[in-house]
Amino acid sequence: MDASSNTLQEHEIVDWEAVERSPEFQALVSRKRRFVLGATIFFLVYFMAFILLCGYEPGFMGESVYEGLTVGYVLALTQFIMVWSLGFWYLRKADREFEPLEQKVIEEALAMTRGTSGAARTDAGDARVGTGSVR
Amino acid sequence: MVPVAAVNTTALLFFIPIVGLTLVVTFWASRRAQTATGFYAAGRGITAPQNGFAIAGDYLSAASFLGIAGLIYIYGFDGFLYSIGFLVAFLTVMFLLAERMRNAGKFTIADVLAFRLRERPARVAAAIGTLAVAAFYLIAQMVGAGVLIQALVGIDFALAVLITGGFMLIYVILGGMVATTWVQIIKAVLLMIGILVMSVWVLIKVGSPIELFNRAEANKGGADSTFSLGPGTFLPKPIDTVSLGLALVLGTAGLPHILMRFFTVPNAKAARGSVVWAMVLIGAFYLLTTFIGYGARVFLGPEGVEAAGTGGNLAAPNLAEVLGGDVFLAIITAVAFATILAVVAGLVLSASSAIAHDVWSSIIRKGKDSEKEEVVVAKVAALGIGIIAMAIAIIGGSGLNVSFMVGLAFAIAASANFPALLLALTWRRFNTTGAIAGVLTGTLSAIFLIIVSPKVWPGADSVTGSPIGWELSNPGIVSIPLGFLACYLGTVLTTERGAERSFHELRVRSETGLGAEQAAAH
Repeated sequence: MDASSNTLQEHEIVDWEAVERSPEFQALVSRKRRFVLGATIFFLVYFMAFILLCGYEPGFMGESVYEGLTVGYVLALTQFIMVWSLGFWYLRKADREFEPLEQKVIEEALAMTRGTSGAARTDAGDARVGTGSVR
Repeated sequence: MVPVAAVNTTALLFFIPIVGLTLVVTFWASRRAQTATGFYAAGRGITAPQNGFAIAGDYLSAASFLGIAGLIYIYGFDGFLYSIGFLVAFLTVMFLLAERMRNAGKFTIADVLAFRLRERPARVAAAIGTLAVAAFYLIAQMVGAGVLIQALVGIDFALAVLITGGFMLIYVILGGMVATTWVQIIKAVLLMIGILVMSVWVLIKVGSPIELFNRAEANKGGADSTFSLGPGTFLPKPIDTVSLGLALVLGTAGLPHILMRFFTVPNAKAARGSVVWAMVLIGAFYLLTTFIGYGARVFLGPEGVEAAGTGGNLAAPNLAEVLGGDVFLAIITAVAFATILAVVAGLVLSASSAIAHDVWSSIIRKGKDSEKEEVVVAKVAALGIGIIAMAIAIIGGSGLNVSFMVGLAFAIAASANFPALLLALTWRRFNTTGAIAGVLTGTLSAIFLIIVSPKVWPGADSVTGSPIGWELSNPGIVSIPLGFLACYLGTVLTTERGAERSFHELRVRSETGLGAEQAAAH
């Protein structure tokens, strides 16, 4: 592991509020939110619509499309396709679009931290930092 | 159809190599399970494909394999709704929690809450949610294991529970997360091969999927048949269908043993990669459940319903016997056993980490204990939880309703854990009181609504069974909004200093991975 270059060291104090305010972070969050929120609303609506149809229109869902193949089964298959498509689409999007933005935020944050080391300490709450700080 | 009395020696012959392999892996893993990161998180060195298989191994319980196949066999399409809900749930996990958990957490879901909330009450709340889900799920799996092994192998219920529990404890205590992960991977591979072989076999015998539907429908049975290629047989009340759908799609994102898996990979990229691997495997598996369920309808017919037992749990093994005789039955039985072992190991590990990491280390010892002590406590906790679960399963016996307890676990996960986690990661104002109110309200309302539900009371088929006239079998549609509402009210009705400020840190960490836990050096 090349620990020092792009990872946070135990002793380094980050001004998290400043990072959150930075244009790089705002760009990342808004890009991500646009995709994730849209996709989440879409799949919840699509899934719940299917469930509502099953619950309230069982007759329609049980109609035959072709012999023993029912409307319900065909719509169920589209749920599988939806899950896999969204999964792979998100992977692509995250690797190509979100990850470079994340790296930019991290680089900026580390530059800020290392450039102004010590001065960035604003108060005790923000000093709770480091790789083992969760505990 | 399945011999219940005689001990099935062929099945035992297939158990031995599978169990032997898992034990070898456990001993190999044991020296890597001595540190806290090794024991809880496998040194964070699991790759995305490995973790994808392990998630599938953790998630596809006997309820998925035997339970859904059985429901489809008896009720037709309605059984398949479970498959779809269980799969779509992974989108919730991927979009809302997987990467954020990996970036901001360490060993348990409580880590994420404790980050910005007051540590001790936040950990208590998270531990309650984790332990409630793990307890109901674990007891359900143990009872299921006992019933199945008794029916399939012919050994006594109590002995079957003890054997299952014994192996589970060996994996977890000796091998920690490394061994548990590999047990899950082995099981996932076996289960995928098993269901694939069985499905292809059914398809070859029947001809085509369309022919499979046609012949299943032709085997529907008499006027009192519950089987249908359309919905509405198993879940006749529409509102119950909706309620179940909600609990399935949100509940997975609150299952501690699934969320814990994201701490085992090196970074967020591997976390999202592993979810997609899991989606492909789990999706393929659930798609094939229809071939098993409808195949059972074709080959076992309406007259096989009784032999398939409660909920049709034995439909899949009975189908295996019809297809491939004793040997194939033995193989499928061994696969079902491996399935149960892997799931219970994952559950015990998540419960013991909540006790050791959250309750013992952070609350009782206030972080002053050594890492070595924490791992020892985790192992003792695993032993204790395992023994209690075995005892409850044996005392409750096969009369404990498995699907009721699994439903309860999902309902609590969706109503208590999911709202608190999601809001801690995304809502700036969220505070400790909100988290505690949400977890308690979600847990208690789910338990209460299940206790008064018609499923539990005598005369289960009539809605008059419930003492307060409650008609819903699945509490999700009420308890999930209640959980969120309690989080909201607890937050806006109180003021707390610090929670909002530390949100800056949690947000930056969880969105970017800056300062995230690193993989242990090899």
